[in-house]
Amino acid sequence: MKTIITAENLTKRFGDLTAVNGISFEIREGECFGFLGPNGAGKTTTVRMIHCVSPITSGSILVNGLKADVDNRKIKAMTGVIPQEITLDNDLTVFENMMVFTKFFDIPRREARRRTDELIAFVELEAKRNNKISELSTGMKRRLLVARALLNKPALIIADEPTTGLDPQARHLIWQRLRLLKNQGSTLILTTQYMEEAQQLCDRLVVMYEGKILKEGSPRRLIDDEIGREVVEIRIDAAEDARLISALGPVSCGHERAGDTLFFYCRDGREIQKKLVELDLPNTVHRPATLEDVFLKLTGRSLIE
Amino acid sequence: MNLSRRAFLVFYRNLVSYKRFVVPTLVGSLVQPVFYLVTFGIGMGAYMGAFGGKSYLFFLVPGVLISSVMMSSTFECLYGAFVKMIHEKLYDSLIATPVSAEDAVAGDILWGAFRGLISGGLMMSVAFFMGVFPVSVPAGLLLCVLMVLIGVMFGSLAMIVTSYAPNFDFFNYYTELVMTPMLFFSGVFFPLDRFPAWMKTLAQFLPLTHAVEISRAVYSGVYPKSLVLNLAFVLVLTFAAVRVGVGRMKKRLIK
Repeated sequence: MKTIITAENLTKRFGDLTAVNGISFEIREGECFGFLGPNGAGKTTTVRMIHCVSPITSGSILVNGLKADVDNRKIKAMTGVIPQEITLDNDLTVFENMMVFTKFFDIPRREARRRTDELIAFVELEAKRNNKISELSTGMKRRLLVARALLNKPALIIADEPTTGLDPQARHLIWQRLRLLKNQGSTLILTTQYMEEAQQLCDRLVVMYEGKILKEGSPRRLIDDEIGREVVEIRIDAAEDARLISALGPVSCGHERAGDTLFFYCRDGREIQKKLVELDLPNTVHRPATLEDVFLKLTGRSLIE
Repeated sequence: MNLSRRAFLVFYRNLVSYKRFVVPTLVGSLVQPVFYLVTFGIGMGAYMGAFGGKSYLFFLVPGVLISSVMMSSTFECLYGAFVKMIHEKLYDSLIATPVSAEDAVAGDILWGAFRGLISGGLMMSVAFFMGVFPVSVPAGLLLCVLMVLIGVMFGSLAMIVTSYAPNFDFFNYYTELVMTPMLFFSGVFFPLDRFPAWMKTLAQFLPLTHAVEISRAVYSGVYPKSLVLNLAFVLVLTFAAVRVGVGRMKKRLIK
């Protein structure tokens, strides 16, 4: 598959703070590529450099053969951005928000009307067409942001935490739309802190922490490599650790203590299951491994502030 | 500077949203200058006698007109731009399109100038009904050009302030410590001749002084030689303020 974005040694400093620290990655045409990481990991800063609204301190990004920080207008013309914050024009209606935006991309008026109507339908906002932004719910505003980002028929779509603060219905609607766009051939870049979102959407992803890339791969492979297939959580006093580890250690492929819980990771849960029955522990959970386990293992289970 | 015709698209965006505010802002722009004209012009003017053979209103109108241009463009580029930058994140959505940060800021300065033109134009019409008008139709048109130029100057100066502003309260320093004194020391309401020398010197450093001088000349059709200096001052300051204002705002918008 063709590479659409190549970043090499990308670094961004704000004064003394290094937000992005010499990362390199490649994004292929037509895939959904995710940036995962806790707050302050450098995800948003990285995508802001890709779509040219943040100058690069050092290193380089090529977007479809164009150099970011140099060919800004051309890169922005082929990119659609679904921002993290709601940046709609409060003074305008839904329809006007879209129409004004088409001007910035030099879309001829007739075509602009056509695309606006089409996209308002795409995100199911026909009923709100002539309402002001203040009359929309957060979910509707986010849907409109999706529609607005598609006006220029972007080859590259950047979604920066697109479902923050949404109810499950609205979130699933946005996921469906993003998947649909990917299936139509757009390349999608997603930043998120929701593991479920990343698992739902991403073909490949990187886990970022403190400005660096810790791991890269498909969600399935990352889980396999880092955790295994299954996880057993045992809520128990730390004094019992030694006893449990000696009992369960041989049948698991790793363990970790976090707060009141002891975690065991394993590939095949049957052996553990048997041992658990023998040990007769009251508070245990046995479940499939998720991306969240990978994330927490890589970035630590303590609070990040 | 990465400026393009897209600045006009930003101006257009403002025009589209303006239709919701047009009535309240017109009332706002109209009431204050009318008060000035009525209280100072008619009330106080009755005690003032003639100014160079004409009534006080002929002295007052060109000054009040240009100060209302100053006020409108300044406020638009202080509060208007700040709300768009911090509260509505409008600039963020603009610069994610082929519109550059420079286009966005320049478009808003132009918009500030346009708001100034509306205020000034209203003043001109009110004064018209009070019997004070520019010496000829071309002079009236020239006055409109002047209002846009002065609007760009004060709008850009205000953008510089906005680029440093951490919050709304910060603007008080500028409006109370710079704008208000300027209104009284720039020869808007009374001539500068009777001020002490140091004050006259000070006035020469105030942009409004020069703007008022030019406005008065265009209104009356009497162009003294010193007008070249006034015009040079305004042009140089406008050029510098646009560069600095757009540059500073860009730094704040693109981090």
